[in-house]
Amino acid sequence: MPLHTPFHERTAALCTSYQWKDWAGHAAVCRYAHSHEPEYYAFRQSAGLIDVSPLYKYEVRGPDAARLLARMMVRDIAKLRIGRVTYCCWCDDHGKVIDDGTVTRLDEDWYRVTAAEPTLHWLQRLGRGMQVRIEDASASLAALALQGPNARAVLAACSDADLDGLRFFRVTTAKLDGVDVWITRTGYTGDLGYEIWTQSENALRMWDALVAAGTAFGLRPCGLDALDMTRIEAGFVLAGVDYFSAPRVVLESRKSTPNEIGLGWTIDLERDPFIGQDALRREKKYGSAWQLVGLEVDWATLEALYDSYGLPTYLPAEACRSALPVYRGRRQVGQATSHTWSPLLKKQLSLATVRLEDAALGNELQIEHTVEFERRTTKAMIVPMPFFNPTRKRKP
Amino acid sequence: MAKANRYDAILIGGGHNALTCAAYLAKAGKKVVVLERRHLVGGATITEEIHPGFHFSACSYVVSLLRPWIVRDLNLPKHGYEVIPLEETFTPFPDGRYLLRDADPERTRRAIAQFSQRDAEIYPMFGQAMSELGRQVKPIIDQPPPDPSSFDPRELFKLLGLGKTITQKGDDWTAAHVKMLTMSAVDFLSEWFESEHLIAPMSVSGIIGTFLGIRSPGTAYVLLHHYMGEIDGAFRAWGLPRGGTGAVAEAIASSARSFGAEIRTEAAVEHVILDGDRATGVVLENGDQLHADTVISGCDPHRTFFGFVGEQNLDSEFTTQIKRFKMRGSSGKVNLALDALPEFTCKPGVGRHLYGDITIAPDIDTLERAYDDAKYGEFSKKPFMDIVIPSLNDPSVAPPGKHTMSMFVQYAPYKLKNGPQDWENLREAFGDAVIDHLAEYAPNIKDIILHRHVLTPWDLEQTYGLTEGNIFHGELSLEQLAFLRPAPGWARYRTPIRNLWMCASGTHPGGGIMGSPGAMCAFAVLGEERR
Amino acid sequence: MSDRSYDVAVIGAGHNGLAAALTLATDRRKVVVLEARDQPGGLCSAREFHPGYTAPGVHQDTSGLQPALADRLAPHGLRLRKEEFPVYAPSESGKGVRVWRDANRAHGEIVGLSEKDAEAYRDWRAFLDRVGPFVRSVLENAPPPMNVSSLASLWELGRRGLALRMLGTKDMTEVMRIAPMCVADWLQENFESELLCEALAAPAVQNTFTGPWSAGSAVQLLFHQCRAQNEIVGGAPALIDALVAACEARGVEIRCNAPVANIRVRDGRAGGVVLADGDAIDARQVAAACDPKRALLDLLAPGWLPVDLEERIGNVRARGTTAVVWLALSDSVQFAGREDQRIEAARVGGGTLDDLERAFDCAKYRRVSDTPALDVRVPTIANPGLAPNKHHVVTIHASFAPFDVDGGWTDAARNELGDRIVDRLAAHVPTLKSRIVGCEVLTPDDLAREYHVTNGHLHHGEHALDQMLFMRPTPSCAHYATPIDGLWLCGSGSHPGGGVTGTPGTLGALALMAP
Repeated sequence: MPLHTPFHERTAALCTSYQWKDWAGHAAVCRYAHSHEPEYYAFRQSAGLIDVSPLYKYEVRGPDAARLLARMMVRDIAKLRIGRVTYCCWCDDHGKVIDDGTVTRLDEDWYRVTAAEPTLHWLQRLGRGMQVRIEDASASLAALALQGPNARAVLAACSDADLDGLRFFRVTTAKLDGVDVWITRTGYTGDLGYEIWTQSENALRMWDALVAAGTAFGLRPCGLDALDMTRIEAGFVLAGVDYFSAPRVVLESRKSTPNEIGLGWTIDLERDPFIGQDALRREKKYGSAWQLVGLEVDWATLEALYDSYGLPTYLPAEACRSALPVYRGRRQVGQATSHTWSPLLKKQLSLATVRLEDAALGNELQIEHTVEFERRTTKAMIVPMPFFNPTRKRKP
Repeated sequence: MAKANRYDAILIGGGHNALTCAAYLAKAGKKVVVLERRHLVGGATITEEIHPGFHFSACSYVVSLLRPWIVRDLNLPKHGYEVIPLEETFTPFPDGRYLLRDADPERTRRAIAQFSQRDAEIYPMFGQAMSELGRQVKPIIDQPPPDPSSFDPRELFKLLGLGKTITQKGDDWTAAHVKMLTMSAVDFLSEWFESEHLIAPMSVSGIIGTFLGIRSPGTAYVLLHHYMGEIDGAFRAWGLPRGGTGAVAEAIASSARSFGAEIRTEAAVEHVILDGDRATGVVLENGDQLHADTVISGCDPHRTFFGFVGEQNLDSEFTTQIKRFKMRGSSGKVNLALDALPEFTCKPGVGRHLYGDITIAPDIDTLERAYDDAKYGEFSKKPFMDIVIPSLNDPSVAPPGKHTMSMFVQYAPYKLKNGPQDWENLREAFGDAVIDHLAEYAPNIKDIILHRHVLTPWDLEQTYGLTEGNIFHGELSLEQLAFLRPAPGWARYRTPIRNLWMCASGTHPGGGIMGSPGAMCAFAVLGEERR
Repeated sequence: MSDRSYDVAVIGAGHNGLAAALTLATDRRKVVVLEARDQPGGLCSAREFHPGYTAPGVHQDTSGLQPALADRLAPHGLRLRKEEFPVYAPSESGKGVRVWRDANRAHGEIVGLSEKDAEAYRDWRAFLDRVGPFVRSVLENAPPPMNVSSLASLWELGRRGLALRMLGTKDMTEVMRIAPMCVADWLQENFESELLCEALAAPAVQNTFTGPWSAGSAVQLLFHQCRAQNEIVGGAPALIDALVAACEARGVEIRCNAPVANIRVRDGRAGGVVLADGDAIDARQVAAACDPKRALLDLLAPGWLPVDLEERIGNVRARGTTAVVWLALSDSVQFAGREDQRIEAARVGGGTLDDLERAFDCAKYRRVSDTPALDVRVPTIANPGLAPNKHHVVTIHASFAPFDVDGGWTDAARNELGDRIVDRLAAHVPTLKSRIVGCEVLTPDDLAREYHVTNGHLHHGEHALDQMLFMRPTPSCAHYATPIDGLWLCGSGSHPGGGVTGTPGTLGALALMAP
């Protein structure tokens, strides 16, 4: 039986659709009602509240904490100031990505790491012989993501946090209905939003306070289906879908470097050694093989395709994670791994990994599209990412 | 000479390998006879009614290695072959805790995490690495071994090909192969895991059937051997044959018969008829003579050459090599007819934990001490046990409400201090030690035994014809594998006696209900190369 | 010193460090050797353990010295003994057997145990003589490549394979068969006398975490026997003297009391070392003759090494199992029943292979052997100067005394160990205890502290099948290079492993100098 998150009592009562899925061994709501669209619109137009407790969370403390994380992450964690959060990824010796997540510096010698995959063994291995205490806080910390244009107003209504002072990718402590919480201005929707962390025993109180405060602002509990759509709009990659954690695959060709999954910008290459540095230096010198791109399906060809079958254009309402081949002319140049219809942008979007030489912005590619059991292709253009990037996301 | 007694091939012994070999030969249109000494076929792959109403897989008890292509080629499911997967591995510990691993990765992760969070994270990666290693070596067990001592350029190319397979994935994988082959199970596992509660139960698959301890170099290899189990393509799956392992032998026999093979039971071979250096047939103990172009022994090398051929008919160097081929039985079986199910202190009640494999492997030192006892000619006072309760999965083998329990026990050395005959005196004491050890974890066991059947290596030799009671027809140690099994230069199922072949576990790739030696011997006899 | 920049800094002035320095200096490189202790030699250095009594090094077996190195050191005073001396294996009954490598001489002794064995010993030695050149070529050259990815490695493997093939089908398959075996099986296939088997098996398991029934031990015996030649006059310290003389003649600077604190790395390249006193020494290359765990885990700041390699080096098995005892005696050593013979070397066990195995069993459970197996030398017979007139020194290697003994190596544990070892020897040398005037006991823990060898493992890492050849210490460092440019390994932790051979040092230096 899957584990229950600290919010299960509330989420289970609300989940009238009975649609759940496994997230790191926990039961996670896919959608609360039969349609997930209201949840999508909550994220984009009012405020969505999603239980993200199944994230793996680790507390790294001690005088060598920064040294350990600087060695582990491609980003120079030594430079991270107190009260800041950073998004980064970490690699194996060959510069292939193991996982991605956030690092929050809570105090001088205190960091919190989130990860998609279990990471304790890796932290422990790297921490051998260092003055550092590593604690798996995955079960003891509960987390909610509050995302959407009204998120700030909801939070202001129920907590004492200085939200105007809390800039993008910062952390603050606060009281929320008397409960001690950390609030980070982070999220996986690419919108204005916060993630709120507390000890698991306070979870329900925190949920109730947020829901009560949110009623006036259109807050809605959301599930993973809506989150998946928003993260694709935001151009965020997902481990196990858009790329594969290097130690979990055997084939070399299935592994990716940070550059190849669009995380090249997180690398601080020239500094003390970190894991994968040599390989990433070589990659910088000789170039990478692949690149992550955003694809936008050309609506006219799609419509024409369906028209040729005498059908109205049909696209699934939810995001899809089955990989599809991407061609340039007759040559397969890569694969599209995440797809969604964007109700807001009225576009069909895909995240794709294509050969570097074919990855220029504006290139016209073909993506497989099945109509009536027949495999056809439609035109798709490489467009800049994120597909959706509201200014409110970073606005002070 | 009566035509009835003239065959293309005679198979000595009706074990599963001989039956497999016979089936393939018959399928190729040969006139084949299988001669089994006992009243039923299967050799050590048999089901016997040891106590009225209770049917036991008396010797071998689980199936994992039977090659899927043999199942397909011989159409075994049609002949009654069915395997019920054993998904759980349950290990009770003296500290009152237990480890239950099963096919559900998340449940297994949580079970391991009780002992070590870190190990729980690493466990799936270990499985992945083992599967990959298995994938890389699998071609080897489905091919006759290349012979480095040969001057044939084809052999050299084969050897190179093998080298390429092993090294193609880079030095890390090559090193992993070397480690697999040479390290001890405990050392190998300790490179991955920290918790003894995980290492001990995992390491025992490295010692099953061998005269080695979990700390003995070379046991990591057997770990892989047992990891390569395969049912319907799923890696690392063990299973109970419906109707006991005898049903597997019956299925192969039935398949062989369907291709026209003749199978005679209670037809004990006395010796092989030689004409100069050629085998031309066999003489049965009842005096009957059977003649054939090809004689194939499904018995172990010692029995084949010293029992059926005779030392006087072999050159001394070959004799020395076969004498050096180590048999060394190390394991016994205790079969119990039970009135009820055992109740484990650490996990009371009936649950999935009883359906799978129950491993009594409390900690590394206890297992190693069990081996130490055996080294000096005693049975283990606290033996390692691999237990299954077949009647839970297949109620047909016991009367309603009753159960059968099969306990594979190590170590029970063939060579006791006072010689193997001493087993006649120590058999029940050994049975008591086994029950006492189990009773530490399941105290009700003593009250629910209806019948106890103890098989020592001595019995395995006397009843089932396994020399020194070795279940693999010869120790699976590195110097007795591949081109050295059973003797250098004679690893291709041929023997120095022309027209006499070997097809059983004493040849490459070795023991277990695998079928490959039998099938590959048949290909060799037919002059075919498979794959 | 004004000019502090060297071509190569060698860490550790043990025999391998010096052999490496000598090889490098011969090629006109400017070399400094940095030694933590107050004298060069490491485990080979002489030590006055009791006033007036000197032990000729921890290493007492010098029969494996690389012949080429012996030749090179001859001008600097290195001499090999003209004759081999037998190893005496006493038995409880007082009969015992002396074993020579020379089958003819051994015949007379072995025949007393078993006529069959005396003949078998001849055949066995003949086999060793036949395969010796091949085995030595394995031990005196860099390990073979582990893949066939390039033409060069294919060629090299082919060359080595051919050398093996040239042994002939019979000997080749025999070598391949023996390699993974346990030494007990191999010997019992040949000999019926348990005493002989035990005496021959002892060197295969000494300094290792294996017993005679452990697979992989046979090859250790094969190596030991094929490499054995006459010992060095003056023992291991004489080798050090010759090495030091040869090094100094070529301008090598040897600095004692100079423990290295860390290896300096810049941009992934080793650029010298920093000493414990903070002194920085620039060198274009660094050759570490210390054990691999020390070199790569202790002396290198974390981060420079790939994580995988760090993990692998951490996994290298190196659990010391040997305790060393030095005795100062007021008179000679007289074995019961052999009072008239001057016995230079003895292997004291229980008389059967099982006794040796039982000694090992204890180590598995983190205990000192109840009845340890002793490798005994009386160096004063050949070298009376080590002790006052007519007095003697006895050196003993006792197996097995595990580094990680339960309860730790306390003073009480050390004393008990010493007593146990002396008692064991006294059982065969009745006058021993009355003649002891001084004694020093070195536990694996003492060896680790005083000689800077990790876990007190005299071979810098287990001699096991998975830690040999291209696997020693790990595949990526097996050819003496490390992933850090300019950092090389040249100690016993590399192929061909431990013992007084000088080969890892020489091969490491050659690898460093290769274009």
